[in-house]
Amino acid sequence: MDMDDTSEQQQVAFAMHTFERIHHTEFQRRFLSQNTRHDGRAFSQFRATHVTKGTVSTAQGSSTVRIGNTTVVCGIKAEVSEPDVKTPNEGYLVTNVELSPMCSARFRPGAPSDEAQVASEHIHRLFGKAVDLATLCIESGQAVWSLSADIVCLKYDGNILDTAILALVAALEDLRLPEAQLDSATGVVSADRTIARQLTLRKRLFPATFALVDTYLVADADDAEEQLATTSVLVVLDDSGRLANIWKRGACPVSNETIHQCIESAVERAETISKTL
Amino acid sequence: MSANIFDRRRVNGPPRSVEPLYTDEGDVKPFTNGGRADGRSLDQLRPIFIKTGPLAVQPTFSPTAPSGSAYYEQGKIRISCAVYGPRQGRKSNPRMGSFDCDFQYAPFSCSWKRRPHIKGADEKEIALILEQAMAPAIRLEAYPKACIDAFVTVIESDGKFATISAAINCISAALADAGIELYDIVAACSMSLNASQWVSDCNQAEEDVSQCSLFVSRMPSADEITYLLQQGKTMPDQTDRAVQTCSNSCARVYAVLSRYLQASMEQPAS
Repeated sequence: MDMDDTSEQQQVAFAMHTFERIHHTEFQRRFLSQNTRHDGRAFSQFRATHVTKGTVSTAQGSSTVRIGNTTVVCGIKAEVSEPDVKTPNEGYLVTNVELSPMCSARFRPGAPSDEAQVASEHIHRLFGKAVDLATLCIESGQAVWSLSADIVCLKYDGNILDTAILALVAALEDLRLPEAQLDSATGVVSADRTIARQLTLRKRLFPATFALVDTYLVADADDAEEQLATTSVLVVLDDSGRLANIWKRGACPVSNETIHQCIESAVERAETISKTL
Repeated sequence: MSANIFDRRRVNGPPRSVEPLYTDEGDVKPFTNGGRADGRSLDQLRPIFIKTGPLAVQPTFSPTAPSGSAYYEQGKIRISCAVYGPRQGRKSNPRMGSFDCDFQYAPFSCSWKRRPHIKGADEKEIALILEQAMAPAIRLEAYPKACIDAFVTVIESDGKFATISAAINCISAALADAGIELYDIVAACSMSLNASQWVSDCNQAEEDVSQCSLFVSRMPSADEITYLLQQGKTMPDQTDRAVQTCSNSCARVYAVLSRYLQASMEQPAS
């Protein structure tokens, strides 16, 4: 009897996988119509989120963040450069997201994909005000810190924006800037890593992404769900619960209530995530 | 070398940036009276950690997940590799499959200056080395018209030659995980010559002060060398000795790899 049971289970599993491959959309819809998702989550449930700081010793600040299967590493290299003439007291924060062909067959080798470019640009704008760039000044008009934050995706399974933003916040909190001095005679900047200071973030950012699949609003969509989503809404809150950013993408119009629902869930998410970060 | 090439597809930083002069770098010598700074003996390798299948997407089927993957650590070196294929490729040889390798350092993976996004000549060279070191082990004739791609990302490096060797071991594990037919697992190990003594598996600080570095990749059961690269000056008999010692070290790496792979076959990952 046991033998029959297992073979029957195997047949069901086989039929399910075949169905998923052939009718991907219908496969997902069947779950959604039953008020559940293909990985067993509730609509408003985010995947398990893990944040580890200080994972790369060759970077001055680093973190690894996992949201479900999606894994990114963020490393910040601190270098010295000349400030811009218009802003002689301000340093630089340069953020780039790298989606290499290693993390998913969706991405090709060579130039960054559209998705990577959009993510890089959006995160760059989002963090423009999060860090007080004046604290990166070494000598006004002559030398400032330039922080290059590179977010490398190791494993891609949807919701790259949430993962990348969390990774960058964690890496910035992990960053230790050495005490630096400019020798005006030689123009050399010397730094002492034994006296390192932490960077003060103006605000910590807590992202939450929601996707609209048919008429269902799902939180933290994975790759399979993202492919079917008509719209996605990114809500970013800061630590005092104020809205830092809302970004609704996709051509499908959504109602006010949906946006409200997203913000409410994002507030809840921010509370839980602030404990793990 | 100008590191910052303006690239409108990325967020660009200042046109020029340099590392500050670190004053806290005392003169800690990697070799002090015959011993190594990290306390290893001269022929001792750094501890190895392997995991196959870290990039497999669980629990459902994903058309974009790689067919095999591996994560490899050796001391501070950390490498992740994904293998796609056999799949349809641009090149199509009706008699043999092709094996392509793509190698990249993460921008923050080196202990010196940040690496630019644009791939450097050294990364392309290493990609070619990896391709040529691995290809003899793959039964390419079993995959006519198909393409096997390996993508390697270095998350953290510690010694150039040691990183190349680690990448070879990582690809080996990933190819095995993908179920690609292999003649043998390729195992690699590096060595550097310091004060006429050969030192195994050198880190960056040790490689920097060495007069010569080499690495050997081997298929131990067939007792065949697939790749051998030396940089720096030695006497021929010194190199002879190094290849011999490296081969023994490869056998040790091989033992670790095959023991892990065997265990992972018997006990599927949870």
